[in-house]
Amino acid sequence: MNDFKLTLTGLVRYAGREGQLSFILHRLTGLGTLLFLTIHILDTSTVYFFPNLYSHAIDIYRSTPFMIGEIFLVFSVIYHGVNGARIAIFDLFSPKQWSIPNERKTAAWTLAIAIVLWLPALFLMGRSLLVNNFGL
Amino acid sequence: METSIEQGTITRNVENVAWKWMRYSGLLLIPLAWIHVAIQDVLVGVHRIDLNYVALRWANTGWRVYDFFLLSFAFAHGVNGLRQVLRDYVQSEERMKGISWGLLVFWAVISLIGAVAIIGGVR
Repeated sequence: MNDFKLTLTGLVRYAGREGQLSFILHRLTGLGTLLFLTIHILDTSTVYFFPNLYSHAIDIYRSTPFMIGEIFLVFSVIYHGVNGARIAIFDLFSPKQWSIPNERKTAAWTLAIAIVLWLPALFLMGRSLLVNNFGL
Repeated sequence: METSIEQGTITRNVENVAWKWMRYSGLLLIPLAWIHVAIQDVLVGVHRIDLNYVALRWANTGWRVYDFFLLSFAFAHGVNGLRQVLRDYVQSEERMKGISWGLLVFWAVISLIGAVAIIGGVR
């Protein structure tokens, strides 16, 4: 627990710039996606185990807070993928390229690419939220 | 400023294999997870998904195989990622061992539930 507190205060105090930001974003988006994935495997499994319950699960997903959460989930999956590709390609194919200037440059590009890829999803999912939940 | 990581010899062990697994499975998950999310969350949307939709989708064996791969790779990648995060916070090796076994059981149980549902289909 103390380590956790140290992490939270360290997040604010430690000036790790782009590398630290991408580290934190990678963990948060990964853990967030895992949390959703666990729930999602279980709720989808109701189609076989308890088919009557499936519509209740879907009703929850259709609620406004969950649809907003889903938009962030899509960002998480995109960012974690782009950043993960960056890490995997450097680590597996050109570890010598892992320099601090390269780290800063590619971390910034990663965030930019993730946001650009996310915008169409934000538009379509935002529209779906407004149309279905607010009758626009 | 020139700082690069020196390449040394790495002994092959469980952590080394896990490290590689995270990277290769991660690369594979980019098309697998992105296509799934793009279709189900963005293009179709949760308002058009119901029991019939799942039944229709799983009538196609290809999508079942797809979902089976997605389940296997994504969940194993995620649970191992959680283990790696926890390793940064749990100092005691003894406790970490217990947590790792717990995570293995958690992974196996949820994966099994998901796999049974994909194979069994909509009832």
